[in-house]
Amino acid sequence: MNNTLDVKNINKTYDGVKVINDISFAVKAGEIMGIMGPNGAGKTTTIRMIMGITAPDQGELHFFLNGESRNRIPQASVGYLPEERGLYKEAKVMEILLFLSGLKGLDKVIARKRIMEWLEKFQLADKANSKVQQLSKGMAQKVQFIASVLHQPALVVLDEPFSGLDPVSQDVFKQEIRQLADQGMAILISSHQMNLVEEICNRIFIINKGEKVLYGPLQDIKAQYGSYQVNIIAEQEIPELTRSPLVQSFQRLGKKWSLVLKDNTAPAQFLATIPPESPIDELSVARISLHDIFVRIAKGGSSDEINLENR
Amino acid sequence: MKLTWKIAKWEFTRNFTNKQFLIGLLLTPIIMLLFAGVPQLISKLDKPQQEVFYVIDEISEFGQLVEAATDTNLKFVQYQGELAELDELVLEEEATGYFILNQAFLKTGQVQVHTAEKKVMFKELQGLLSNLLQGLRVQEIGIKQEQVAYLTSPALLSSVHIGGESNGDQSNRIGVSIALAGIVLFLIFTSGAMLLQSALQEKQDRMAEIILSSVSSDNLMQGKIIGHFLLGISQLVLWLSIGLPAAWYFMDIPVWAMISLGQLPILIFFALTGYLLFAALFVGIGSTMTDMQSASNTQGMVFMLPMLGFIFVGPVISNPNGLAAQIGTFFPLTSPTITILRLGLAEVPTWELVVAAIILLFTTLLVIKAAAKLFRVGMLMYGKTASVAEMWKWMRY
Repeated sequence: MNNTLDVKNINKTYDGVKVINDISFAVKAGEIMGIMGPNGAGKTTTIRMIMGITAPDQGELHFFLNGESRNRIPQASVGYLPEERGLYKEAKVMEILLFLSGLKGLDKVIARKRIMEWLEKFQLADKANSKVQQLSKGMAQKVQFIASVLHQPALVVLDEPFSGLDPVSQDVFKQEIRQLADQGMAILISSHQMNLVEEICNRIFIINKGEKVLYGPLQDIKAQYGSYQVNIIAEQEIPELTRSPLVQSFQRLGKKWSLVLKDNTAPAQFLATIPPESPIDELSVARISLHDIFVRIAKGGSSDEINLENR
Repeated sequence: MKLTWKIAKWEFTRNFTNKQFLIGLLLTPIIMLLFAGVPQLISKLDKPQQEVFYVIDEISEFGQLVEAATDTNLKFVQYQGELAELDELVLEEEATGYFILNQAFLKTGQVQVHTAEKKVMFKELQGLLSNLLQGLRVQEIGIKQEQVAYLTSPALLSSVHIGGESNGDQSNRIGVSIALAGIVLFLIFTSGAMLLQSALQEKQDRMAEIILSSVSSDNLMQGKIIGHFLLGISQLVLWLSIGLPAAWYFMDIPVWAMISLGQLPILIFFALTGYLLFAALFVGIGSTMTDMQSASNTQGMVFMLPMLGFIFVGPVISNPNGLAAQIGTFFPLTSPTITILRLGLAEVPTWELVVAAIILLFTTLLVIKAAAKLFRVGMLMYGKTASVAEMWKWMRY
């Protein structure tokens, strides 16, 4: 896959505080790239620099479109859903989408057709002539999403696209974003909800305090932090398991136990050591989540950063 | 430029189809008419109460008194009963009062009016009795009424301008000049207020970032300024299309004859540049605020700047080429209105126009540049109104 966006060693300082420190990553055509981190990590600042809303103090941004490389953002070929989002409350859905797609250079007739297709997809076709203020928050967010992809951009940047959405709408969004990537769009998603993003991202970039923490394909990262987590429900103590030499650490929350296995320990290997008389009601095994990886690294500081991109 | 026009078109249509704007557009002339018409209507409805006076006539002139009072609010009733009962009668009948016309009145002109209320205005009665007294004394001396009129007629002054312009023309000219300067000021205020509102709305609706991902902040600012200018102009055109014929028809002011065609380009230049100057100032400052309530004193002051011109209006009208007029012309914040005012009042030296135009143009360009810098940062700042120190920092970026 070819890179659509290349971010190279960007830096940004506000009032003497370095908010972005030497960050580099790429977004490829047809992939979903997740930029993740806790609140205030520098995700939105990075995205605003990509969008040309603010400029990096140092570093370079390259956009690759139709075989050409550009330093400035080709605004008509990029779609953007900002974190601070809204719509003109007094305007009608159709009007506002026509206006925004017009700014991206989309022909009115084509735009009108695509708007209706998208509205139907989101079951909002009957709201085309409704004023934005009559829409629910979720509906408005769908309209904003439509505005960011209507002109079929080469690169779509979605800043916290799932925040404020109910689980059903989150699923709809995930599905649509996946489809757009399958059609060849390069998609950059930022989120602090790691569980949601890890479900759809091909690659991720984790940022904390303006610095890179982790970067690479999701599977590689999980393999690197290759441990498994065993979730157990047991009323009584299970010392024979928590003290197992295969267990790295454990946490207890009432009758819920979660055991993190040591790196390179296969689940079957651990399961074979469970005595038959163990007072276990339920047991499940899963790869350690991105959230846990992040917490593990963040606690250890960003010096623990790894780059799996060039392995 | 294409994007600027798209923004301008959006701003224009969005506001022009807005109910509030349309209502304001139609209501304003109605309100103006009401302001002009209602006082007259009220004065018609609210006729002053009739004042009733009892009169004891000892000089047999009651008939003349009644005749003189025909078109007034005064009513006289001749009383021939006992004087002692008159006080009671006045109170009983709710009359205003009574007085006696006797020889002493003819000699001294003094009349004692006994009134029911403590405070009574006698202006009309005084005029009436003065006329009666004068008439009676004229008769007594034996001169004719015409001779009296001839003697007492005042001097009537009228001026003829050497250039051939009559006094009436000149006052019309002053009126039209003030009106033109007023229109420019009005355009600055209404469009400026709408512009400010639009910048704030953009922030409140959280649209700034979406728009700025498609257009540059310069495009957005220019589009807004142009859109609201067109909006203000269409508002003006509509109102003038009602107002000008009205001025012509009702007040007989030949408005177009008052504006010389040769001056029109100068007039348009100062009006347009002036609008641009203030529009940029307003939109720049507007972008640094969260809402109108959060405007600091400094920001509030900026919105009062167009009013500065008022300081010069009086001195300029009394001396259109004096020092005050020159200062008003050169100072960029008053230049648009004062130059337009002066152009209507007198011949403005060409060098003054050129210098004023250069200063205004230069300042406007500078302000647009500074405003664009404020706008670029300000539009993306939410929930906080910028301090003067912050604005200064943004402008130096």
